[in-house]
Amino acid sequence: GSSSLTLGERICAAFIPLVAVVDFFIFVVANCFYCQPRREKCRYGPSDFTRLANESRFTVNEVEALYQLFKKLSSSLIDDGLIHKEELQLALFQTPYGENLFLDRVFYLFDEKKNGVIEFEEFIHTLDIFHPSAPIEDKIDFAFRLYDLRQTGFIEREEVKQMVVAILMESEMILSDDIIESIIDQTFADADADKDGRIGKEEWKTFVLQHPSLLKTMTLPHLKDITTLFPSFVYYTEVEEL
Amino acid sequence: MAGYLPFDEPSLIGLYKKIWEASFSCPSWFSSGARNLIKRILDPNPVTRITIPEILQDEWFKKGYKPPKFEQDEDVNLDDIDAVFNDSTEHLVTERKEKPVSMNAFELISRSQSFSLDKLFEKQCGSVKPETSFASQCPPNEILSKIEEAAKPLGFNVHKRNYKMKLKGDKSGRKGQLSVATEVFEVAPSLHMVELRKTGGDTLEFHKVTTKPRVYTVGKMSGLDASKREALGSLRFFNLL
Repeated sequence: GSSSLTLGERICAAFIPLVAVVDFFIFVVANCFYCQPRREKCRYGPSDFTRLANESRFTVNEVEALYQLFKKLSSSLIDDGLIHKEELQLALFQTPYGENLFLDRVFYLFDEKKNGVIEFEEFIHTLDIFHPSAPIEDKIDFAFRLYDLRQTGFIEREEVKQMVVAILMESEMILSDDIIESIIDQTFADADADKDGRIGKEEWKTFVLQHPSLLKTMTLPHLKDITTLFPSFVYYTEVEEL
Repeated sequence: MAGYLPFDEPSLIGLYKKIWEASFSCPSWFSSGARNLIKRILDPNPVTRITIPEILQDEWFKKGYKPPKFEQDEDVNLDDIDAVFNDSTEHLVTERKEKPVSMNAFELISRSQSFSLDKLFEKQCGSVKPETSFASQCPPNEILSKIEEAAKPLGFNVHKRNYKMKLKGDKSGRKGQLSVATEVFEVAPSLHMVELRKTGGDTLEFHKVTTKPRVYTVGKMSGLDASKREALGSLRFFNLL
Protein backbone atom coordinates (compact mmCIF):
# COMPACT_ATOMS: atom_id res chain seq x y z
CA GLY A 1 0.00 0.00 0.00
CA SER A 2 0.81 3.73 0.22
CA SER A 3 2.95 5.54 2.83
CA SER A 4 1.74 5.38 6.44
CA LEU A 5 2.03 9.17 6.90
CA THR A 6 -1.14 11.21 6.66
CA LEU A 7 -1.24 14.39 4.64
CA GLY A 8 -0.96 16.47 7.80
CA GLU A 9 2.04 14.55 8.94
CA ARG A 10 3.61 14.94 5.54
CA ILE A 11 3.13 18.73 5.64
CA CYS A 12 4.60 18.93 9.14
CA ALA A 13 7.54 16.84 8.05
CA ALA A 14 8.24 19.29 5.24
CA PHE A 15 8.03 22.24 7.53
CA ILE A 16 10.11 20.97 10.40
CA PRO A 17 13.48 21.87 8.91
CA LEU A 18 12.09 25.28 8.01
CA VAL A 19 10.85 25.80 11.55
CA ALA A 20 14.26 24.81 12.83
CA VAL A 21 15.88 27.40 10.61
CA VAL A 22 13.42 30.13 11.65
CA ASP A 23 13.87 29.17 15.28
CA PHE A 24 17.61 29.49 14.90
CA PHE A 25 17.20 32.92 13.28
CA ILE A 26 15.01 34.17 16.10
CA PHE A 27 17.50 32.90 18.66
CA VAL A 28 20.42 34.65 16.96
CA VAL A 29 18.60 37.92 16.49
CA ALA A 30 17.37 37.90 20.09
CA ASN A 31 20.90 37.34 21.30
CA CYS A 32 22.03 40.30 19.26
CA PHE A 33 19.74 42.51 21.28
CA TYR A 34 21.31 41.22 24.48
CA CYS A 35 24.71 42.05 23.08
CA GLN A 36 23.85 45.74 22.64
CA PRO A 37 26.48 47.79 24.45
CA ARG A 38 25.12 48.71 27.90
CA ARG A 39 27.07 50.94 30.27
CA GLU A 40 28.93 48.27 32.23
CA LYS A 41 29.51 49.11 35.87
CA CYS A 42 33.21 49.87 36.15
CA ARG A 43 35.02 47.46 38.37
CA TYR A 44 38.57 47.67 39.58
CA GLY A 45 40.93 44.96 40.61
CA PRO A 46 44.34 44.46 42.15
CA SER A 47 46.29 45.54 39.06
CA ASP A 48 44.37 48.84 38.95
CA PHE A 49 45.11 49.42 42.62
CA THR A 50 48.80 48.84 42.05
CA ARG A 51 48.82 51.19 39.09
CA LEU A 52 47.00 53.94 40.98
CA ALA A 53 49.29 53.47 43.98
CA ASN A 54 52.28 53.98 41.70
CA GLU A 55 50.72 57.13 40.25
CA SER A 56 50.03 58.65 43.64
CA ARG A 57 51.28 59.02 47.19
CA PHE A 58 48.99 56.27 48.43
CA THR A 59 50.00 52.71 49.16
CA VAL A 60 48.10 49.86 47.52
CA ASN A 61 46.19 49.21 50.75
CA GLU A 62 45.27 52.87 50.97
CA VAL A 63 44.01 52.82 47.38
CA GLU A 64 41.88 49.79 48.25
CA ALA A 65 40.49 51.57 51.27
CA LEU A 66 39.68 54.63 49.15
CA TYR A 67 37.95 52.30 46.73
CA GLN A 68 35.61 51.27 49.54
CA LEU A 69 34.80 54.93 50.10
CA PHE A 70 34.41 55.48 46.36
CA LYS A 71 32.01 52.57 46.05
CA LYS A 72 29.91 53.93 48.88
CA LEU A 73 29.72 57.42 47.37
CA SER A 74 29.22 56.30 43.78
CA SER A 75 26.30 54.00 44.55
CA SER A 76 24.31 56.35 46.77
CA LEU A 77 21.93 57.52 44.04
CA ILE A 78 22.91 55.82 40.78
CA ASP A 79 24.76 52.55 41.11
CA ASP A 80 27.09 52.83 38.13
CA GLY A 81 30.55 52.97 39.69
CA LEU A 82 30.80 56.72 39.03
CA ILE A 83 30.26 59.70 41.29
CA HIS A 84 27.67 62.07 39.93
CA LYS A 85 27.38 65.66 41.11
CA GLU A 86 24.28 64.90 43.17
CA GLU A 87 26.08 62.03 44.88
CA LEU A 88 28.99 64.28 45.85
CA GLN A 89 26.52 66.87 47.06
CA LEU A 90 24.74 64.22 49.11
CA ALA A 91 28.01 63.12 50.66
CA LEU A 92 29.13 66.64 51.54
CA PHE A 93 25.86 68.34 52.38
CA GLN A 94 23.43 65.53 53.22
CA THR A 95 21.16 66.64 50.39
CA PRO A 96 21.39 66.21 46.64
CA TYR A 97 19.57 69.49 46.01
CA GLY A 98 20.39 73.16 46.13
CA GLU A 99 22.97 75.48 44.66
CA ASN A 100 26.39 75.40 46.18
CA LEU A 101 29.51 77.34 45.22
CA PHE A 102 32.02 75.01 46.73
CA LEU A 103 30.39 71.90 45.36
CA ASP A 104 30.43 73.20 41.80
CA ARG A 105 34.10 74.09 41.95
CA VAL A 106 35.19 70.94 43.75
CA PHE A 107 33.26 68.68 41.38
CA TYR A 108 34.69 70.50 38.40
CA LEU A 109 38.23 70.02 39.69
CA PHE A 110 37.74 66.34 40.49
CA ASP A 111 36.29 65.73 37.02
CA GLU A 112 39.57 65.86 35.07
CA LYS A 113 38.05 64.56 31.84
CA LYS A 114 35.16 67.04 32.17
CA ASN A 115 32.64 64.35 31.27
CA GLY A 116 30.25 65.13 34.13
CA VAL A 117 31.21 62.21 36.35
CA ILE A 118 34.05 61.40 38.71
CA GLU A 119 35.77 58.12 37.92
CA PHE A 120 37.89 56.28 40.44
CA GLU A 121 41.16 57.41 38.82
CA GLU A 122 40.08 61.03 39.05
CA PHE A 123 39.02 60.48 42.66
CA ILE A 124 42.48 59.19 43.56
CA HIS A 125 44.32 61.88 41.58
CA THR A 126 42.53 64.71 43.36
CA LEU A 127 42.62 63.20 46.85
CA ASP A 128 46.36 62.77 46.31
CA ILE A 129 46.68 66.54 46.57
CA PHE A 130 44.94 66.47 49.95
CA HIS A 131 47.36 63.93 51.35
CA PRO A 132 49.31 65.34 54.30
CA SER A 133 52.60 64.61 52.48
CA ALA A 134 51.61 66.20 49.18
CA PRO A 135 53.88 69.08 48.14
CA ILE A 136 52.68 72.50 49.19
CA GLU A 137 52.87 73.77 45.60
CA ASP A 138 50.15 71.31 44.57
CA LYS A 139 47.94 72.49 47.42
CA ILE A 140 48.55 76.15 46.65
CA ASP A 141 47.68 75.50 43.02
CA PHE A 142 44.52 73.55 43.83
CA ALA A 143 43.31 76.23 46.25
CA PHE A 144 43.85 78.86 43.59
CA ARG A 145 41.83 76.92 41.04
CA LEU A 146 39.15 76.29 43.64
CA TYR A 147 38.67 79.95 44.45
CA ASP A 148 38.92 81.08 40.83
CA LEU A 149 35.18 80.52 40.52
CA ARG A 150 34.78 81.65 36.94
CA GLN A 151 38.09 80.22 35.76
CA THR A 152 39.49 83.49 34.52
CA GLY A 153 42.98 82.63 35.74
CA PHE A 154 42.60 85.23 38.49
CA ILE A 155 40.72 85.34 41.77
CA GLU A 156 38.45 88.31 41.24
CA ARG A 157 36.99 90.58 43.90
CA GLU A 158 33.47 89.51 43.03
CA GLU A 159 34.40 85.88 43.49
CA VAL A 160 35.82 86.50 46.96
CA LYS A 161 32.71 88.47 47.83
CA GLN A 162 30.49 85.62 46.68
CA MET A 163 32.35 83.16 48.88
CA VAL A 164 32.32 85.39 51.95
CA VAL A 165 28.60 86.04 51.61
CA ALA A 166 27.97 82.30 51.24
CA ILE A 167 29.87 81.55 54.43
CA LEU A 168 28.21 84.24 56.47
CA MET A 169 24.83 82.95 55.29
CA GLU A 170 25.74 79.52 56.56
CA SER A 171 26.30 81.07 60.01
CA GLU A 172 22.96 82.78 59.51
CA MET A 173 24.63 86.16 59.45
CA ILE A 174 23.58 88.89 57.13
CA LEU A 175 25.98 91.80 57.25
CA SER A 176 25.72 95.11 55.51
CA ASP A 177 27.42 95.44 52.16
CA ASP A 178 29.79 98.04 53.67
CA ILE A 179 31.16 95.60 56.18
CA ILE A 180 31.64 92.89 53.58
CA GLU A 181 33.34 95.34 51.24
CA SER A 182 35.68 96.42 54.02
CA ILE A 183 36.62 92.80 54.75
CA ILE A 184 37.51 92.32 51.09
CA ASP A 185 39.32 95.67 50.91
CA GLN A 186 41.58 94.61 53.73
CA THR A 187 42.22 91.21 52.22
CA PHE A 188 43.03 92.65 48.82
CA ALA A 189 45.29 95.29 50.34
CA ASP A 190 47.29 92.38 51.66
CA ALA A 191 47.06 89.98 48.74
CA ASP A 192 46.76 92.11 45.61
CA ALA A 193 50.35 93.34 45.27
CA ASP A 194 49.98 95.06 41.87
CA LYS A 195 46.62 96.59 42.85
CA ASP A 196 44.84 95.47 39.71
CA GLY A 197 41.75 94.43 41.64
CA ARG A 198 42.37 90.72 41.28
CA ILE A 199 44.72 88.10 42.67
CA GLY A 200 47.00 86.37 40.21
CA LYS A 201 48.77 83.07 40.68
CA GLU A 202 52.06 84.56 41.84
CA GLU A 203 50.34 86.98 44.20
CA TRP A 204 48.35 84.07 45.62
CA LYS A 205 51.49 82.04 46.19
CA THR A 206 53.19 84.88 48.07
CA PHE A 207 50.04 85.54 50.09
CA VAL A 208 49.61 81.91 51.11
CA LEU A 209 53.21 81.57 52.20
CA GLN A 210 52.59 84.52 54.54
CA HIS A 211 49.38 82.96 55.88
CA PRO A 212 49.95 79.19 55.92
CA SER A 213 46.73 78.48 57.82
CA LEU A 214 44.91 79.25 54.56
CA LEU A 215 45.87 75.83 53.30
CA LYS A 216 44.29 73.96 56.19
CA THR A 217 41.37 72.76 54.10
CA MET A 218 43.80 71.47 51.49
CA THR A 219 44.89 68.65 53.77
CA LEU A 220 42.67 65.82 54.94
CA PRO A 221 44.33 64.23 57.99
CA HIS A 222 41.95 61.26 57.71
CA LEU A 223 43.81 60.14 54.60
CA LYS A 224 46.62 58.99 56.87
CA ASP A 225 44.34 56.51 58.68
CA ILE A 226 42.25 55.63 55.69
CA THR A 227 42.98 51.91 55.98
CA THR A 228 41.49 51.78 59.46
CA LEU A 229 38.46 53.85 58.47
CA PHE A 230 37.70 51.58 55.49
CA PRO A 231 39.03 48.11 56.11
CA SER A 232 39.02 46.28 52.78
CA PHE A 233 38.27 42.65 51.99
CA VAL A 234 40.96 40.13 52.72
CA TYR A 235 41.54 38.81 49.24
CA TYR A 236 42.42 42.22 47.85
CA THR A 237 45.10 42.70 50.46
CA GLU A 238 47.04 39.77 49.06
CA VAL A 239 48.64 42.32 46.78
CA GLU A 240 52.15 42.82 48.06
CA GLU A 241 53.03 46.26 49.35
CA LEU A 242 56.32 47.36 47.86
CA MET B 1 39.67 38.31 92.74
CA ALA B 2 37.34 35.64 94.08
CA GLY B 3 36.92 33.61 90.90
CA TYR B 4 33.15 33.67 91.16
CA LEU B 5 30.35 36.20 91.00
CA PRO B 6 29.13 37.92 94.16
CA PHE B 7 25.51 37.56 93.10
CA ASP B 8 24.65 34.45 91.21
CA GLU B 9 21.13 33.05 91.00
CA PRO B 10 19.40 30.96 88.37
CA SER B 11 16.36 33.21 88.36
CA LEU B 12 16.44 36.96 87.64
CA ILE B 13 14.11 37.74 90.52
CA GLY B 14 16.25 35.74 92.90
CA LEU B 15 19.29 37.59 91.59
CA TYR B 16 17.76 41.01 92.10
CA LYS B 17 16.68 40.03 95.60
CA LYS B 18 20.25 39.13 96.49
CA ILE B 19 21.58 42.39 95.09
CA TRP B 20 18.94 44.39 96.90
CA GLU B 21 19.78 42.76 100.21
CA ALA B 22 23.53 42.91 99.49
CA SER B 23 23.49 39.23 100.28
CA PHE B 24 26.93 38.04 99.25
CA SER B 25 29.93 36.60 101.01
CA CYS B 26 33.59 37.15 100.33
CA PRO B 27 35.95 34.21 100.23
CA SER B 28 38.01 33.62 103.35
CA TRP B 29 41.29 34.67 101.71
CA PHE B 30 40.10 38.23 101.14
CA SER B 31 41.86 40.76 103.34
CA SER B 32 39.72 42.92 105.61
CA GLY B 33 40.64 45.98 103.49
CA ALA B 34 39.29 44.30 100.35
CA ARG B 35 36.18 43.08 102.15
CA ASN B 36 35.45 46.52 103.45
CA LEU B 37 35.82 48.22 100.08
CA ILE B 38 33.68 45.65 98.28
CA LYS B 39 30.98 46.00 100.92
CA ARG B 40 30.92 49.75 100.33
CA ILE B 41 30.80 49.31 96.53
CA LEU B 42 28.02 46.71 96.58
CA ASP B 43 25.88 48.96 98.77
CA PRO B 44 22.31 48.90 97.37
CA ASN B 45 21.65 52.40 98.71
CA PRO B 46 23.05 54.96 96.24
CA VAL B 47 23.18 57.64 98.91
CA THR B 48 25.48 55.69 101.23
CA ARG B 49 27.34 53.87 98.45
CA ILE B 50 30.98 54.77 98.03
CA THR B 51 31.79 57.26 95.22
CA ILE B 52 34.64 57.05 92.73
CA PRO B 53 36.67 59.84 94.39
CA GLU B 54 36.23 58.00 97.70
CA ILE B 55 37.37 54.75 96.12
CA LEU B 56 40.48 56.54 94.92
CA GLN B 57 41.14 57.54 98.55
CA ASP B 58 40.58 54.06 100.01
CA GLU B 59 43.70 52.67 101.71
CA TRP B 60 43.39 49.19 100.27
CA PHE B 61 42.76 50.54 96.77
CA LYS B 62 45.69 52.92 96.90
CA LYS B 63 48.20 50.13 97.59
CA GLY B 64 50.28 49.75 94.47
CA TYR B 65 47.84 51.88 92.43
CA LYS B 66 49.30 53.69 89.44
CA PRO B 67 46.97 56.39 88.14
CA PRO B 68 46.55 56.18 84.35
CA LYS B 69 48.50 58.68 82.30
CA PHE B 70 46.70 60.11 79.31
CA GLU B 71 48.84 61.20 76.40
CA GLN B 72 48.68 64.78 75.32
CA ASP B 73 47.81 65.19 71.68
CA GLU B 74 51.03 65.08 69.72
CA ASP B 75 50.17 67.42 66.94
CA VAL B 76 48.76 70.27 68.95
CA ASN B 77 51.04 73.23 68.72
CA LEU B 78 50.90 75.10 71.97
CA ASP B 79 53.80 77.41 71.21
CA ASP B 80 51.70 80.45 70.49
CA ILE B 81 49.53 79.96 73.58
CA ASP B 82 52.51 79.24 75.81
CA ALA B 83 54.32 82.27 74.47
CA VAL B 84 51.47 84.50 75.53
CA PHE B 85 51.12 82.99 78.97
CA ASN B 86 54.78 82.59 79.77
CA ASP B 87 55.55 86.27 79.42
CA SER B 88 56.92 87.98 82.50
CA THR B 89 54.32 88.92 85.05
CA GLU B 90 54.75 92.61 84.24
CA HIS B 91 52.47 92.15 81.28
CA LEU B 92 49.69 90.90 83.52
CA VAL B 93 49.16 94.38 84.78
CA THR B 94 49.10 96.10 81.37
CA GLU B 95 45.80 97.21 79.89
CA ARG B 96 44.62 95.24 76.94
CA LYS B 97 45.47 97.80 74.28
CA GLU B 98 45.98 95.62 71.30
CA LYS B 99 43.26 94.55 68.96
CA PRO B 100 42.64 90.90 68.29
CA VAL B 101 44.69 89.34 65.51
CA SER B 102 43.00 90.06 62.24
CA MET B 103 41.61 87.40 59.97
CA ASN B 104 41.31 87.92 56.24
CA ALA B 105 38.58 86.76 53.89
CA PHE B 106 40.47 83.63 52.80
CA GLU B 107 41.17 82.58 56.37
CA LEU B 108 37.45 82.95 56.97
CA ILE B 109 36.70 80.85 53.91
CA SER B 110 39.17 78.15 54.88
CA ARG B 111 37.67 77.79 58.36
CA SER B 112 34.23 77.28 56.96
CA GLN B 113 32.68 73.86 57.35
CA SER B 114 31.11 74.01 53.93
CA PHE B 115 34.40 74.42 52.08
CA SER B 116 35.92 71.24 53.41
CA LEU B 117 36.10 67.70 52.05
CA ASP B 118 36.42 66.39 55.59
CA LYS B 119 32.79 65.44 55.53
CA LEU B 120 33.51 62.62 53.11
CA PHE B 121 34.89 60.74 56.10
CA GLU B 122 32.34 61.94 58.61
CA LYS B 123 30.24 58.80 58.86
CA GLN B 124 33.24 56.56 59.28
CA CYS B 125 34.85 58.42 62.11
CA GLY B 126 31.96 60.00 63.93
CA SER B 127 32.59 63.56 62.76
CA VAL B 128 34.01 64.72 66.07
CA LYS B 129 36.70 67.28 65.52
CA PRO B 130 39.01 68.65 68.18
CA GLU B 131 38.32 72.20 67.06
CA THR B 132 35.42 74.39 66.17
CA SER B 133 34.86 78.00 65.26
CA PHE B 134 31.96 80.35 64.97
CA ALA B 135 31.31 83.97 64.05
CA SER B 136 29.98 86.62 66.38
CA GLN B 137 28.97 90.25 66.11
CA CYS B 138 29.66 90.98 69.78
CA PRO B 139 32.74 92.98 70.74
CA PRO B 140 35.73 90.73 71.50
CA ASN B 141 35.91 91.48 75.23
CA GLU B 142 32.28 90.59 75.59
CA ILE B 143 32.83 87.32 73.73
CA LEU B 144 35.64 86.33 76.08
CA SER B 145 33.63 87.31 79.15
CA LYS B 146 30.69 85.26 78.00
CA ILE B 147 32.88 82.24 77.44
CA GLU B 148 34.42 82.72 80.86
CA GLU B 149 31.01 83.06 82.49
CA ALA B 150 29.84 79.87 80.87
CA ALA B 151 33.01 77.90 81.47
CA LYS B 152 33.46 78.60 85.17
CA PRO B 153 30.27 76.87 86.40
CA LEU B 154 31.24 73.88 84.28
CA GLY B 155 34.33 73.55 86.44
CA PHE B 156 36.91 75.17 84.18
CA ASN B 157 39.81 77.29 85.34
CA VAL B 158 40.17 80.24 83.04
CA HIS B 159 43.38 82.07 82.14
CA LYS B 160 42.93 85.12 79.98
CA ARG B 161 45.59 87.06 78.13
CA ASN B 162 44.78 89.59 75.45
CA TYR B 163 42.45 87.77 73.09
CA LYS B 164 43.53 84.25 73.95
CA MET B 165 42.14 82.14 76.74
CA LYS B 166 43.09 78.82 78.24
CA LEU B 167 40.32 76.78 79.81
CA LYS B 168 41.34 73.91 82.04
CA GLY B 169 38.79 71.46 83.38
CA ASP B 170 39.44 70.85 87.06
CA LYS B 171 37.99 67.36 87.35
CA SER B 172 39.38 64.48 85.39
CA GLY B 173 37.36 63.64 82.35
CA ARG B 174 37.40 60.44 80.31
CA LYS B 175 40.92 60.96 79.13
CA GLY B 176 42.30 63.24 81.78
CA GLN B 177 41.77 66.93 82.13
CA LEU B 178 39.86 68.57 79.29
CA SER B 179 41.63 71.72 78.22
CA VAL B 180 40.55 74.15 75.55
CA ALA B 181 42.40 77.04 73.92
CA THR B 182 40.30 79.91 72.70
CA GLU B 183 41.20 82.80 70.48
CA VAL B 184 39.22 85.67 69.07
CA PHE B 185 40.11 87.08 65.65
CA GLU B 186 38.88 90.25 64.03
CA VAL B 187 37.42 89.82 60.56
CA ALA B 188 35.95 93.31 60.57
CA PRO B 189 35.43 95.80 63.43
CA SER B 190 31.93 94.43 63.90
CA LEU B 191 32.61 90.82 63.05
CA HIS B 192 34.79 88.43 64.99
CA MET B 193 35.65 84.78 64.65
CA VAL B 194 36.06 82.65 67.76
CA GLU B 195 38.20 79.57 67.53
CA LEU B 196 38.08 76.80 70.13
CA ARG B 197 40.76 74.12 70.07
CA LYS B 198 41.07 71.08 72.28
CA THR B 199 44.58 70.97 73.73
CA GLY B 200 44.15 68.01 76.07
CA GLY B 201 41.58 65.46 77.19
CA ASP B 202 38.75 63.71 75.39
CA THR B 203 37.54 64.96 72.00
CA LEU B 204 33.99 63.75 72.64
CA GLU B 205 33.87 65.76 75.82
CA PHE B 206 35.21 68.78 73.95
CA HIS B 207 32.53 68.30 71.34
CA LYS B 208 29.79 68.08 73.98
CA VAL B 209 30.85 71.26 75.68
CA THR B 210 31.33 73.39 72.60
CA THR B 211 28.73 72.48 70.03
CA LYS B 212 25.06 73.18 69.65
CA PRO B 213 23.41 71.16 72.38
CA ARG B 214 20.38 69.00 71.66
CA VAL B 215 17.02 70.27 72.77
CA TYR B 216 16.64 69.87 76.50
CA THR B 217 13.21 68.66 77.44
CA VAL B 218 11.55 70.11 80.49
CA GLY B 219 11.50 66.63 82.01
CA LYS B 220 15.27 66.30 81.82
CA MET B 221 15.93 69.68 83.37
CA SER B 222 13.49 69.35 86.26
CA GLY B 223 15.39 66.47 87.86
CA LEU B 224 18.46 68.64 88.41
CA ASP B 225 19.24 71.10 91.12
CA ALA B 226 19.44 74.82 90.34
CA SER B 227 23.20 75.13 89.88
CA LYS B 228 23.36 72.21 87.48
CA ARG B 229 20.45 73.57 85.50
CA GLU B 230 22.24 76.89 85.15
CA ALA B 231 25.42 75.22 83.97
CA LEU B 232 23.56 73.21 81.34
CA GLY B 233 21.69 76.32 80.27
CA SER B 234 24.94 78.11 79.73
CA LEU B 235 26.11 75.49 77.25
CA ARG B 236 23.69 77.12 74.89
CA PHE B 237 25.50 80.41 75.04
CA PHE B 238 27.54 79.41 72.06
CA ASN B 239 24.37 79.88 70.07
CA LEU B 240 23.59 83.25 71.55
CA LEU B 241 26.80 84.89 70.47
